[in-house]
Amino acid sequence: MSTTTETEIPLRQRVAENPQPALIWAAIGAVLIGVELGAILQVVGVLAGVVVNLLPGDPGAAAVQSLQAAVDGIPTLVSRETIANQGYWDGSKYVGTFLGVSPAMAWAVRVVVVYAYAFAVLGWLWNGYKTFRRHYRRVDWTPRDDVVNRFRGHTWGKFGLIITITFVIMAVFAPALGPTTMEKNILQPYDYETSYWNEDTQNVETVLVGEANLGSGSQGAGDENVAPMTYDDYGRFHPFGTATNGKDLFTQLVFGARVSLTIAVVSMGIAGIIGLSLAMITAYYKGLADFAAVLVSDSIQALPVIMVLILMLVVFRGTWVKELYDGAVLIILIFSIVYWPFIWRSIRGPAFQVSEQDWIDAAKSFGQTPSQVMRKHMAPYVFSYMLIYASLSLGGIIISVAGLSYLGLGITAPTPEWGRLIADGQQYVASPSWHISLLPGLLITLVVTGLNAFGDGIRDAIDPQADTGSETEAAAGGGGA
Amino acid sequence: MSTTSTKEEQKTRTSQDTILEVNGLKTYYEDGGLLSSNPVKAVDGVSFDIERGETLGLVGESGCGKSTLGRTLMRLEEATAGEVKLNGTDITTLSGSDLKQFRKDVQMVFQDPDSSLNERMTIGEIVREPLDVHDWKTPQERRERVRELLETVGLQEQHYYRYPHQFSGGQRQRIGIARALALEPDFIILDEPVSALDVSVQAKILNLLEDLQNEFGLTYLFIAHDLAVVRHICDRVAVMYLGNIMEIGPADEMFDEPANPYTHALLSSIPEPDPTIGRDRITLRGTPPSPRDPPAGCPFSTRCPVKIRPESYTDLDTEVWERIEVFREVLRERERASPSVTERVRELLGRETHRSGMDEIVTELFGEIDVPGGVMKHINEAADYAENDDEDAARTYLREEFGSVCDHERPGQLGVGDKGRLSLCHRHETEYEEPSTVFETLVQ
Repeated sequence: MSTTTETEIPLRQRVAENPQPALIWAAIGAVLIGVELGAILQVVGVLAGVVVNLLPGDPGAAAVQSLQAAVDGIPTLVSRETIANQGYWDGSKYVGTFLGVSPAMAWAVRVVVVYAYAFAVLGWLWNGYKTFRRHYRRVDWTPRDDVVNRFRGHTWGKFGLIITITFVIMAVFAPALGPTTMEKNILQPYDYETSYWNEDTQNVETVLVGEANLGSGSQGAGDENVAPMTYDDYGRFHPFGTATNGKDLFTQLVFGARVSLTIAVVSMGIAGIIGLSLAMITAYYKGLADFAAVLVSDSIQALPVIMVLILMLVVFRGTWVKELYDGAVLIILIFSIVYWPFIWRSIRGPAFQVSEQDWIDAAKSFGQTPSQVMRKHMAPYVFSYMLIYASLSLGGIIISVAGLSYLGLGITAPTPEWGRLIADGQQYVASPSWHISLLPGLLITLVVTGLNAFGDGIRDAIDPQADTGSETEAAAGGGGA
Repeated sequence: MSTTSTKEEQKTRTSQDTILEVNGLKTYYEDGGLLSSNPVKAVDGVSFDIERGETLGLVGESGCGKSTLGRTLMRLEEATAGEVKLNGTDITTLSGSDLKQFRKDVQMVFQDPDSSLNERMTIGEIVREPLDVHDWKTPQERRERVRELLETVGLQEQHYYRYPHQFSGGQRQRIGIARALALEPDFIILDEPVSALDVSVQAKILNLLEDLQNEFGLTYLFIAHDLAVVRHICDRVAVMYLGNIMEIGPADEMFDEPANPYTHALLSSIPEPDPTIGRDRITLRGTPPSPRDPPAGCPFSTRCPVKIRPESYTDLDTEVWERIEVFREVLRERERASPSVTERVRELLGRETHRSGMDEIVTELFGEIDVPGGVMKHINEAADYAENDDEDAARTYLREEFGSVCDHERPGQLGVGDKGRLSLCHRHETEYEEPSTVFETLVQ
């Protein structure tokens, strides 16, 4: 029968029958990946190096090193080398900058290119989803389509999504975004030199970065301040000014975004996995399992979170756990342990609701295993609720991490952290060096607001009944709850 | 169909081809757990057989335990006592691979088509899942089988990649039926499969079920509360009340001449399509007792219109007898209602509680009618007990005084007629009048 074959065609054949949309999409993808191929291979090389290091006897270490060296030579679009901003004025023109423009201009161009590239990649992925949905998907409608469509009509949620993406891009492309690098400016400033135009001698001179930093700190007074969007005495451009010790504030901010994002996402991920698994188990087996989970989670929830964090950080100070990733691993562990009960509590209700559905009984009646029942018939309904709660909690974790660093706990210096930047600049808030505290503070506020807006958007998309109900889509994506 | 042939068929079947045999099955729900051990007796000692290829209807009011019985047969609830033999094997103790094999042989169709299909899966995935679970042949053959099944139940195979949301209630029930058929079971439990559907769709689904039964030689347990549907589709019918099967037997015979008083009352509640036919409906008084605390004797004794009277009261006026039964019902209800906190406080303070006021109840019930002095004495005695918040003593007193065999002894399932019909009623014993005879006198 003709319809038999129609529903049986595998994806490859469906693409072969109508190749044009897929080809266009793939071509754009090839271009987008091609310009960053070097960077991707670099990541692969670094990972390979890590693997080799972990293996006993370091087999093939030389091969990996030569690979890394070869890969480093490939030019990439979004990199410091292609659009260089660290040059100097030789009295008549800029030397070493991108196309000979000013360092500020070169930096601005690079930031624009980074964001344009990142959004282009995301746009390409989105376009790929839409192409698949329109041309190749066997199913012409799924409950998830409604969720996506509802989110697309949610302005506040989209605002949150854009802020969140901006923040994530900042963390991912941190090395390319900073006007200088972590290594040169913050970690090893006395190992590197910088050239600058000396007005007095009318000559290009070199100075150690560390010494230059000493001369360009922001300490409140008029002559000891490098404000945002200005050059310091050594011809270096500082988009967000400098910190008290003369290090570039913007570079510290983008790398701080990495730490905050890693801690927030990983600890929420671990807490989410624990919470979701427990919710499945307690909702499926009920009774004693539920009672035990209630006891444990109540005990944990009874503890004041900040107290636990401070205590644990003090207790583990000086141990090897605290050394991992400048203390971030310890913080991640503590947050995971402290946060899972909140996640479990918030999805326990939906999980119990789903577990009462007839399709669970139906699955049991033909002998489906408990783990499969939980995975196929319960988790999909609960997962979206967890996503809402997790996205709303991410902001809270970012604030907590900043708060810990503000108190001098948490991430160890010199790894930059937003909370520590705020603490550093606190005494200069009412002085010309206001930017040290204010800019990180504003960024935290913006990011947390964005994450909350994103969470609101997801919630309204998943569960339209929770909203005022202007949408009258016949099919509700969160129908199970 | 001719009565004789079915009778002969049934006789041969009974002798050798029993697919399911249920003996003294009990399913109790323990929920208080640690403190109280007064379980809900949802199924309280049920025995019956189902023969291969027949359809047994299971009817009763909501809450009578018919769904729990179905779920226990499916092993979705654990049986408290008794045995369920499928093809000779007791399935209440199965585990491991035996249980998995059993899960293949027995399937269920659920009542609510909205809730019985996972909305996040396509129809193909839903119908395929049982095949996947039991590793049925190759994935390719499974997909083929699903498409066949979709056609068998009257859907189209391009529905494979649609979601349940895109279907109507009747179509969804067809999908549920296709899923139940996937593993080629012998026995299917239909838990009110049409009660959530429009009447026009109900008929189509019932016809589909009948066609499937003829095609695949299926055996059905058809749980329903719609008696017309049951009469249409079932060969035999079991009537449940308060966790017991009150009457079981061939459908036509039972609908024409109900033997058990409860069946009588239940059947008289079917609306008659012809308004010119005068029909005397028997309205039952009160509500069914709590399944936590079923009556000691016959389960139906608290509401039975033809309850046997003790010998000393056989001549008592019907009206008075009726009022005494109501009075006992009131006491039962009062005992069940647990006192609220304020009432307890009032009680402790020695104030009058809302629970008192027995005088008013007695006056209300017996004030306007002529009650013999002897009877009234007993009533007042019981009322005194109740006034002192000892309903239990009052009830025991009344049971001793006015109770009969119906209150004291649980009746056995007694044979009625010659077609293997069984009915749970003392009145089928030779020394009492048959229920139908008494009903006739009542109706006049």
